[in-house]
Amino acid sequence: MAIDGLVILDSTGRPIVQSGFRSTSPAYPLLHIEALNDALSKAPRPADADPVLYVPNTGIDGPSACCHVKRGELRFLGLMSGDTDPLYVFAFLETFISILRDYFGQLSAETLKENFDVVYQLLEETLDAGGHPSTTSINALKDIVLPPSLLSKVLSVAGVSGLASPGTNSHPFASPIPWRKVGVRYNSNEIFFDVAEELKAVVNKNGGIIVSSVWGKVHTNCRLSGTPDLLLSFSNAQPLTDCSFHPCVRLQRWSRDKNLSFVPPDGRFILMEYKYTPGGVHHVAVPFALKASVDCEVNGGSFDVALTSRLTTKVLENMNVELYLGEGATSASCVVSNNTSWNFDPRTRILHWNIKAVSPSSSFSLKGTFSSTAEQPRPSHAFRARFEIPQHSFSSLKVDQLKITGEMYKPYKGVRGRSTGDVEWRW
Amino acid sequence: MAAQGGQDAKFFQRGKIQEFRAELQAAEAKDKKFTKRKTVLKKIVANITMGNDMSPLFTDVVQCLGIPLLEIKKTEQIHLVIPSFLQDCNDRNPLIRALAIRTMSYIPIPVVTEALTEQLRHCLKDRDPYVRKTAAICVAKLYTADPRKAEKGGFVEMLRDLLLDSNATVVSNAVAALSEIGDRQDGVIFKLNLTVANKLLAALGESSEWGQIYILDSLLRYVPERHTDAELMAERIIIHLQHANSAVVLTTIKILLYLMNYMENRKLMDYICKKMGPPLVTLLSSGPEVQYVALRNILLIIQRRPSVLKNDVKVFFCKYNDPIYVKLAKLEIMYRLAREENAREVLAELQEYASEVDIDFVRKAVRSIGRLAIKVQPAADACIQALLDLIETKVTYVVQEAVIVIKDVFRRYPGKYEGIIPTLCENLDALDEPESKAAMIWIVGQFANRIDNADELMDDLTYTFMEEPVEVQLALLTAAVKLFIYKAQSDTSKALVHKVLKWATEEVDNPDLRDRGFMYWRLLAINPTVAGEIVLAEKPAITTDSDRMDRGALDQLLLHTGTLGSIYHKNPETFIRNAAGKALTDSPALNPLSRQVLVPLSRPNIPPAIHVPGPGPPPPREASVSPVPPTAKPAPPAPPQTGDLIGASSSADTLDGEGENEHESGEHGDEDSLASPSGSADPYANLDNAFGSYLADEPKPQADDHLTRLF
Repeated sequence: MAIDGLVILDSTGRPIVQSGFRSTSPAYPLLHIEALNDALSKAPRPADADPVLYVPNTGIDGPSACCHVKRGELRFLGLMSGDTDPLYVFAFLETFISILRDYFGQLSAETLKENFDVVYQLLEETLDAGGHPSTTSINALKDIVLPPSLLSKVLSVAGVSGLASPGTNSHPFASPIPWRKVGVRYNSNEIFFDVAEELKAVVNKNGGIIVSSVWGKVHTNCRLSGTPDLLLSFSNAQPLTDCSFHPCVRLQRWSRDKNLSFVPPDGRFILMEYKYTPGGVHHVAVPFALKASVDCEVNGGSFDVALTSRLTTKVLENMNVELYLGEGATSASCVVSNNTSWNFDPRTRILHWNIKAVSPSSSFSLKGTFSSTAEQPRPSHAFRARFEIPQHSFSSLKVDQLKITGEMYKPYKGVRGRSTGDVEWRW
Repeated sequence: MAAQGGQDAKFFQRGKIQEFRAELQAAEAKDKKFTKRKTVLKKIVANITMGNDMSPLFTDVVQCLGIPLLEIKKTEQIHLVIPSFLQDCNDRNPLIRALAIRTMSYIPIPVVTEALTEQLRHCLKDRDPYVRKTAAICVAKLYTADPRKAEKGGFVEMLRDLLLDSNATVVSNAVAALSEIGDRQDGVIFKLNLTVANKLLAALGESSEWGQIYILDSLLRYVPERHTDAELMAERIIIHLQHANSAVVLTTIKILLYLMNYMENRKLMDYICKKMGPPLVTLLSSGPEVQYVALRNILLIIQRRPSVLKNDVKVFFCKYNDPIYVKLAKLEIMYRLAREENAREVLAELQEYASEVDIDFVRKAVRSIGRLAIKVQPAADACIQALLDLIETKVTYVVQEAVIVIKDVFRRYPGKYEGIIPTLCENLDALDEPESKAAMIWIVGQFANRIDNADELMDDLTYTFMEEPVEVQLALLTAAVKLFIYKAQSDTSKALVHKVLKWATEEVDNPDLRDRGFMYWRLLAINPTVAGEIVLAEKPAITTDSDRMDRGALDQLLLHTGTLGSIYHKNPETFIRNAAGKALTDSPALNPLSRQVLVPLSRPNIPPAIHVPGPGPPPPREASVSPVPPTAKPAPPAPPQTGDLIGASSSADTLDGEGENEHESGEHGDEDSLASPSGSADPYANLDNAFGSYLADEPKPQADDHLTRLF
């Protein structure tokens, strides 16, 4: 169980950062990079390349595999040989990416190059040479690797004062709780919970729901001093199933009375993830209806789509309806209702229809034709609709109260709901 | 330097070795805060990153080691190789002590290893947990460099003692190191006894997610001796199914599956199965990469424990923009989960997929419709209708796939659907791929008596005989013979069979084809009646059995849940060099069925390994496994120690015939629920296995595919 190393590729497939491959030959990462670029160019869509790419013959090192994920323009590779768990590699990549995000904000080849010394230090601290992830908790990492902004600030103010620079805690792992720093101080103590839910559904042509599920995440931003011990209780936690929690949550307590008891890490983290299952066999309803007809002719076709909101009070925002027009599609021309816009991307061959706001029970329509070089165009058999509903949650999860023990202050608490949807509507 | 914080990109410029050397030397003067030297070092590292060879600068850089600046030390130690860390090992900053031994362990040169050995001994007992945890991992490195020396130096014992450390991170790193050592084929055997396993479980709660993975994974090295031990342990770890880290979840599932082999309490096992479903579904809400890994594992898990996810077929329905690898994996699982109750839903989905854009996926979907017909009898009618509808579309690749599966449907339900043959014959011209053509030819030959114009069709088909691929030629040959046997009076068929036999025996180079041609010729020449009986003999009905993996192999693969082996559905030792295989270990608590199909593990060419007993009080029964004698053949497990294990003695060699009697129950519930006829009830039930290897030549159901092509 070990990760051989990590490589970050830029958008052209060239490596910009890679961990030191000490136990393998220098050709080892190169062979993987080449194998991956090869597989990517061969795949019909880059997204279709096998995510655990088996690299059969890397010479003296024996066969191995390369796990890769793409984030923005960057592609992150985790190389492994031996019988390692690919999920473990993916989990590590995901963690490393979130660490980079936390340090540098938006990720791009440019930011990584600008801060390559920090990236290397991070790499060194998170993944040791044996391929074992070591320190991945952001709170602990910030003690030993200074974030770039802080670094330059500290250095310019205090000058370089050697090893005992003020930011460097000489006992970085002194905290008894691995995910929380000791001695955190804030002037105003506050904690925010963002409940973000996503509806994922597949609807058949008659509007019947085939699959629908709501996945929720509780994003937390904690700015509390000291070592607070929190108890968060919901007024309606019963329909939450399939929960998974941040390591700080005491699992026994949750299984006993569905209350979250935890000592939070400092800063942003995801407290819990859950699936919302309404009682009985009911599905979560899709908040809009789509009536569509698509006709294919020789070298083209026509479509007629009508979208109606099923909500009575809330507004669906940023509604985006997509239709893949099939191999060979060249252009489209459409007539749309007021306040909506459409465009056709000839590269991905996807027609987009954007509606800024779908107010309660309003309707919109999209009519048009498309042309294609294919004699029998084969557009995809489903529309994909994505939308947002601010200040809303499908589960209507309510925080009952937040109790704090271990500290004397009364923190400011905030809870917000936010919902998104990703619906596949077949025609 | 201070102003350059965010502008390091400019270091990415190619530079010459000479220039760097000069710069470095120039920087030595008037460089109180070492900023100049740091800048040069950064440039050098940037060049290394770009792939330039900077090794000539080695000595110059070594001199910079004296600089008391953490950042510089890191910069250097990360990228350059220097054996002067001994001083750092005694630094008062634990970070530096750890960094020094860590860097030394990267360097597999005897001189460095020698120096490291001494330092490591101190660091393993350092007062700072950060140093101890780093040292633990370094032991694994040291072991890789020189296993025997590390053993003699007592490092394995020291690691073992770290298992009882008060700091959870240290414990988990010690476990990681021991596992790495234990995974080596020439390594020390790392086993856990109940006491140590429980100690590790206690550390589980406090360790990091990665540590949890190591600790959980190491539980595979614990062999429960009593049912209750396994059951209690499962109850303790089941809570980790709720972890946010997907790898922790999957490792937990792996251990639960493993422990279930040693359990007796049906109620608890059902409960565990029920608990395993939701976290697996949760994994499907992650990115496509994680989904893929999860899906491949789910495929294995549901074959062994069908009750997991039994009612969740809907979560595996594909979305049109899923990547192809996710779609194909989902499709396979949908087929596995299909039962009478959900067949209608599944079929509706499959029909939907058959109109998709992606050709590869469409083909698989069509094929799945046929397999569904074969698997779920009550749904067969609807599936056949769906296939006919698809043939109506006249889309070539859809028609071809449909023909291929319909051939199998005919064999599964003889005499039921032959009415659709005319429809198939209408589409003969659409077939241009060998597999579908061969399938159609098989249908024409097999049912020549029901197809009025069979001889005309065959005549047309043989027209291009010499240009066809071997697969089609073989099918044509057999079909021509069948046609002749059905219609011996017809002149066309006589002429046809003569023509084809002549081609096959005289003009074709392929030996298979020629041999088969001669065989038919002789059969027909000696006794046409007998030839008819042989060629048109009743064929064994197709079942879905051959889709199922052998139970013993499945048990073994499940020990690798989450790993590469489970992605590729192969045992890792077969495709990864130096991978140590895993196998279920026999113990009094192992359930009888698992024991029967136990695949013993061979560890060939093991040098005499040292067995290190666990820390703490000695285990009640010595849990050591004596090294298996170095034989190429899988060695039979040790004879049972007690008389009550009647089934155990025959577990060694063959697995023949095991698959069939299990199959029945596997569809409905856990395979363990089966009161197997060859279980402990009947002491003679296993006798047929005693002749295992002699029966190897007997035709088995799986082999009937070859027979089909022949006849």
